Amino acid sequence: MNKKGSDKIVSVYWFAILFIIAAAVVYMVLIFYGKPYDVREIESSLLAKLVADCVSNAGKINENVLDGSGIILTNENFMETCHLNFGVEDSFDWSLNSEYFVNVEFSMFEGEFLKNVTAGNSNLLDFCKEEFKSANNPSCLEDSFYSLDSEGNAYKIKITSLVRKTEKNVG
Amino acid sequence: MDKKVKSKIFHYNLFPKNCRGTNILKENIIFIVLNLVFLSILMVFIFSKMQNAANLEEMYAKQIALMIDAAREDTTIQLDMQDGFDVAGEEYSGELVFIRDNIITVKLREKGGYSYSFFNDIKVRPEIQRLNGGYNFYIYRE
Repeated sequence: MNKKGSDKIVSVYWFAILFIIAAAVVYMVLIFYGKPYDVREIESSLLAKLVADCVSNAGKINENVLDGSGIILTNENFMETCHLNFGVEDSFDWSLNSEYFVNVEFSMFEGEFLKNVTAGNSNLLDFCKEEFKSANNPSCLEDSFYSLDSEGNAYKIKITSLVRKTEKNVG
Repeated sequence: MDKKVKSKIFHYNLFPKNCRGTNILKENIIFIVLNLVFLSILMVFIFSKMQNAANLEEMYAKQIALMIDAAREDTTIQLDMQDGFDVAGEEYSGELVFIRDNIITVKLREKGGYSYSFFNDIKVRPEIQRLNGGYNFYIYRE
């Protein structure tokens, strides 16, 4: 064996390894930067927060939601009362169906159901079921809190918010 | 197959003359230079992907949309967009951020742009701050 000679030889194996490493790095970078940023989870939590702030402030139910006659928030005035705008960009046929859905469920502290108020695309609600929860499906967030009316009665308010926008967040 | 013949297939002797010291030095220098060239190309590729105008457009559009969704009225939000200014400076000199209704468009190239919507029904007036390399967003309700 020519040991002295082999020390001076630049092996093609080394370049083969370099090529494999380069291909792996390029592949990983393309995979990472090729995918869109998925912000739907943050969006759905912000949507829930916006609605929660609209319904209740500092532990008290707002007057534009509940007055002496009961819950005055309806499907018709929900968007206006809570300052929501579910308009989306005109791409991927998004203008046909809303990419958002929000549901507010009012019930008494003891459990008696009072009212449901919704806005947006109700077809999305199925994606809150456990079997449909995945990174490729619309993001669903369910949260609930307790709030008081002016007479001190306690209410349970459950908010469900969904954001689809799959094409721009999953790719 | 003869071992010598086989090794000739996979190895190429760059320095046929056996002038020991100088050859070892040359060989090592070439080896290090080739490795540095390889690493440089790899780094240039990664940084070009990181500073890609399309990526930055998407990132800024979504970032601004989320900021507005989280904002309350009568607020001013300052956003550092220096990277966007740097990328746009080379080929595009128009407005970088447009807001129409509730849709944000960030445009860093002549042919390009990325739009994203926000659901907070609020008015937003973007104002470029070229000296600070950013944008101010004035959020108010009519």
